[in-house]
Amino acid sequence: MAAPKISRRAFIRLVMLGGIGAGLAYYHRLTQPLGEVTFTRWMLRGRYQQFAGKKAIVALGESSSYQDDLVKQLSDLFKLGELPDVRGLKVLVKPNMVDKVGQYLTTTAPEVIAALVDVLNELGASQVTVGDGPAFHRDATSIARNIGLDELLRQRGMQFVDLNYDDPQPIPVKDGWISRSDVIWLPKHVVEADLIISVPKMKTHHWAGVSLSLKNLLGLFPGMRYGWPKNTIHFNGITSSILGLYQILPPVVAVVDGIVGMEGDGPLAGTPVQHSVLAVGKDAVAVDVTCASLMGFDMYEVDYLSMAAWAGIGQTRRIETRGIQPEKFRKQYERPPKM
Amino acid sequence: MCLFMQPNALEFLLKAQADDGSWGYSRAGEGFLEPTAVVLLALRDIPQAAQAVQKAAEWIFNLQNPDGGWGICPQDKESGWQTAWAVYALNLSGLGKEKCDIGIQWLLNIDVMQLNDSDLLAAGQKVAQIDFSVRGWPWLPGESSWVEPTALTLLAIKGSSASAEVASRQSEAVLYLRDRRCDGGGWNIGNPVMFDMRLPARVTPSALALLALAEIAPKEILPRDILALRNEMFQDGGVLALAWGLKALRVLGEDDPEARAALVSAQGSDGSWDGNPYLTAIASIALNGEG
Repeated sequence: MAAPKISRRAFIRLVMLGGIGAGLAYYHRLTQPLGEVTFTRWMLRGRYQQFAGKKAIVALGESSSYQDDLVKQLSDLFKLGELPDVRGLKVLVKPNMVDKVGQYLTTTAPEVIAALVDVLNELGASQVTVGDGPAFHRDATSIARNIGLDELLRQRGMQFVDLNYDDPQPIPVKDGWISRSDVIWLPKHVVEADLIISVPKMKTHHWAGVSLSLKNLLGLFPGMRYGWPKNTIHFNGITSSILGLYQILPPVVAVVDGIVGMEGDGPLAGTPVQHSVLAVGKDAVAVDVTCASLMGFDMYEVDYLSMAAWAGIGQTRRIETRGIQPEKFRKQYERPPKM
Repeated sequence: MCLFMQPNALEFLLKAQADDGSWGYSRAGEGFLEPTAVVLLALRDIPQAAQAVQKAAEWIFNLQNPDGGWGICPQDKESGWQTAWAVYALNLSGLGKEKCDIGIQWLLNIDVMQLNDSDLLAAGQKVAQIDFSVRGWPWLPGESSWVEPTALTLLAIKGSSASAEVASRQSEAVLYLRDRRCDGGGWNIGNPVMFDMRLPARVTPSALALLALAEIAPKEILPRDILALRNEMFQDGGVLALAWGLKALRVLGEDDPEARAALVSAQGSDGSWDGNPYLTAIASIALNGEG
């Protein structure tokens, strides 16, 4: 029996259908584990942000010493960076208190934190809290005491809050960034804050490349739930943990302490770099992209910044720097050892 | 065992107990398992605290998840490392044997990341100088082993009926602690080295590791472990460090008058340490327990 004949038109239709099917199958595979809808949404959001999204402002200031008038410096940078009006807001100041190891300058300088507290009080914040939940140390208050932060806060009638024990509450995750759970447990002061100010030290980091305002947020995972060093973050992936956390927090702005940075084997054993820069901005992603560039890192070398750019989380391209020109601060930090 | 308390500490702890029987990390804070278990340990032999102890035990009983483990509080349905605290506190208090047995099974069956691939093991050796093929216990199921949950679990399962399974896990965990020891003695939270940096001992993991080894493998304890603990507890200087350090030293038959004096002077006028039931209980155990 002769094979049935197929018309030229039907053949073309079949080939087209096959092509569409193969294309959909490829797209399905490409978009896993996110799924087609989320993948497409994030990709489009990323393109929009990069080419038509709202411009972000990052204000840069120069301070060569922690003895400078940092209150004035930060106050000026707040205005220049058009930071939100904090009047009547509950503000959580989140420094990087990772650990105190010998004489290494691992933490955000207490002088910067104290100056920021003064600025926030001057600007009329209704409640200012300073706290962190370090990953390597059971007792953050002892780090605060040993670096002199405790005393500076005491002079201002405040107490450092160890976020590792701050009555954590479960907060639903969004968009599947946290694959191991439907919730992230977060400290009470984080949940109740109207605004979080991430105040990292400008550092290299052997897992993440650089440690800036977004990476600093991982200290919000409470140790009493996740243990020390919050191993859940590593199993979930640092990039996913950072970006997943960032999207469920109250608004986050950034103040980066780059007066003395750290290069090489950060976040604990790197070498000090006299960098003399303070960076302030309403969009923490934009601030990190700018600071990474000042450290000599391309944004695409840092996974969490590269992913933020692709998924349209924050602004990574349309950034206006104000204050001192970035060229003045450009350095080439020694890269951290690779994991 | 805590036969008597520092002045006012008992009153503080009794007043700080929530109506449901729990304690938190601050006087007015929400109830969590770790502080409740530690306060239970501190109060368990004090006649005036009998009612509070019973309420705390009931709270812990009710917190047990259907899988046999414990989360951090009633809302937390994912069992984790604090299971060891629940079992340890209930066991020592002679309460809830059946619940403890189920909890011990959960601890023995917990999934722990263990590497057997030779390339990955070589990478672990290079970066952190540790043997990833040896298991201790993780903070949460499926994760890597860390010193503190390993030591706590060793203390918790010590009271369980001897079985080949328990003995085998205990031996492996002792190997784990040996492998993770810092160069100068004592323990950091996990690995003793990160790239070229030798990490220092930290008080809580060192003290708990020493308490566990003292119970099950005292010959594994080295003089430099005790030296490292003593140095670090003073460098740290916090109540938590002084209390855990002193507790471990006393169990090892040593004492430290300087640490004792520092701890006593840090007690507040309300009888507490920093208004924190958890710290108050550990400090009381360290100062007054039999060791």
